[in-house]
Amino acid sequence: MDILDKLKILADAAKYDVSCSSSGSERKNKAGGIGNAAVSGICHSWSDDGRCISLLKILMTNYCVYDCAYCVNRVSNSIPRAAFTPKEIAELTINFYRRNYIEGLFLSAAIMKNPNHTMELLLKTVTLLRENYNFNGYIHVKAIPGADGRLIEATGEVVDRMSVNIELPSDEGLKLLAPEKKKEALIKPMGLIDRQIIQRKEERRIFRNAPSFVPAGQSTQLIVGATQDHDYRILKLSEGLYNRFHLKRVYYSAYVPIVNHPNLPSITNPPTLREHRLYQADWLLRFYGFDADELLDEAQPNFDQLLDPKCDWALRNMKLFPVEVNKAEYETLLRVPGIGVKSALRIITARKMAPITYDGLKKIGVVLKRAKYFITCQGKYYSDVGFREKLIRLSLTEKPLKEPTETNEIQLSFLTMPAIRENVNSIITGEL
Amino acid sequence: MVIYVFDGSFEGFLTAIYESYYNKEKPDKIVAMDDYVENLIDRPIFIETDEIKSDKVYAGIKNKISTNALKKVYHVFLSEVMEAPTVIYHYLRLGFKIGNKVDLNLMDDWVLRMDKINQQVASEKHRMLGLLRFQLVENDLYYAPLAPDHNIIALMANHFAQRMSDQKWMIHDTKRCIAVVYDLKEWIITPIDLPAPPVGKEEYLYQQLWKEYYQSIAIKERRNPRLQKRCMPVRYWSFLTEKK
Repeated sequence: MDILDKLKILADAAKYDVSCSSSGSERKNKAGGIGNAAVSGICHSWSDDGRCISLLKILMTNYCVYDCAYCVNRVSNSIPRAAFTPKEIAELTINFYRRNYIEGLFLSAAIMKNPNHTMELLLKTVTLLRENYNFNGYIHVKAIPGADGRLIEATGEVVDRMSVNIELPSDEGLKLLAPEKKKEALIKPMGLIDRQIIQRKEERRIFRNAPSFVPAGQSTQLIVGATQDHDYRILKLSEGLYNRFHLKRVYYSAYVPIVNHPNLPSITNPPTLREHRLYQADWLLRFYGFDADELLDEAQPNFDQLLDPKCDWALRNMKLFPVEVNKAEYETLLRVPGIGVKSALRIITARKMAPITYDGLKKIGVVLKRAKYFITCQGKYYSDVGFREKLIRLSLTEKPLKEPTETNEIQLSFLTMPAIRENVNSIITGEL
Repeated sequence: MVIYVFDGSFEGFLTAIYESYYNKEKPDKIVAMDDYVENLIDRPIFIETDEIKSDKVYAGIKNKISTNALKKVYHVFLSEVMEAPTVIYHYLRLGFKIGNKVDLNLMDDWVLRMDKINQQVASEKHRMLGLLRFQLVENDLYYAPLAPDHNIIALMANHFAQRMSDQKWMIHDTKRCIAVVYDLKEWIITPIDLPAPPVGKEEYLYQQLWKEYYQSIAIKERRNPRLQKRCMPVRYWSFLTEKK
């Protein structure tokens, strides 16, 4: 099989992996070497689905011993199979990189023979790239659940990011759709990577030249809409992962109906609006100081279709509003629907010089479409409907804020953002 | 209206700023020679570029305002937006008056306008760091043509000099007929006028592979051309291998 056919098969098999970020690492080029990592991350193209292409995202192989119902690569599916050699991947990466097609490599694999064999192949490939090809660009590698801890550790020393996919939000879901995968086995490598990251960071504080370990952190991905799990459960899971394992990102992937299976729901379109709401809530957890329990509970376990999570929260907490933009703390401003990190910071900067007027808010670029219902400006309330929950809810939802297609776009645009960076402001605004 | 006309260089522009402080006639507008159209009402004052004067202004911005302001001034100048020199002039007037606090004045129209143009330049630069496409041509040279809205190739050079330090490359702005050339040691910027060099067989193979990859990675069920075009404007497509 020639390299073109292999690439076709193994890129096609990798496309459902959501992560595309190439940010968070400061790896420098070496003398005579090629490549470095840009801390902001760089998108190199956008495919026809509107998702950004930053890394060469391919599988080492799609030969798999598992039989997960939702996955195209499951052993019982009759599809063409292929496997790359480490050298083929290295050549492809280097040559794409020299032409500035990509920011680096995102290497994953189906489970060939057993987890250890697969992890060894991945390690061999990335080591070849780093040592023989002197490649210093961004590398993201999957940690294979069930592989020996020493293999995962050795891989972590040469790559920039690792991820373990949690696949489904609950144990029951896994039992139903991926009987060979156990939640503990998925969680274990996450804990291992997290401990290593913390320990190595500590070492580097003392010895500047101590080797780095997954400097861009770890991430995970789960499929939304393939099981019965509601949004509250998913959000609690994400919150737990952020708090316990310090993940940089949890990616949500709307279930794309690619296979028919009695245990899978039959839907025609991927639930992209739901995915979008989850991303919005995820941002609220990470950058806006919200807890999962504030946004949802057992009584209301799913997000409103018509309102974004922050609007919905604000309407349930009318006693906290309206807030005065000239006085409110940063944290309070962040909780106003329609005001994001960038707007909040601009408000704080601008009001140091002079009080902000309503027109002034517009001028500095604060979008007032939703915010106007929840703020006062120099003591005056500017919305035309009065400060009543019912009226505000009505005007926020009467013309559906987002047509389905439009929602789709906004949701996807989250995926295209350069993902993680210590400087919170630039992550959110996508600016440098 | 009094209009200062400078030769189009950054030094020329800084000289114009210098003159605006020492000449009794203050400018209502500052424009580059190429943008100046003679008419009966306006009175032009032609500025002669003077390195000593421009150096003084350069140091003045850095010391009296901030390094950040200097960077901003340079970026906005490179935007080649017609009103940019005038916007910078008003921004600097305020800057020399109140110092490094100038950027906090978000309510000031000139500061705001400055921010906006600066943002446009910075984001096009960032975008092009990703969208630039090199082709391997003869003499082991990696050649990349582009035609950006703003004059950004000088801002992109360091990035590629660090990243692609072991290959010879050239970034060619076909709109402005200038190029950044890197020879494994350092980069220079130079005027240039040449057609796209021919590519070899190996280059063709990798272009094929990249096109194939580009097609395979898209999820058909989620096709979204509007989002694609918003992130990657169509005017850049003619230079993209995968869109040719």
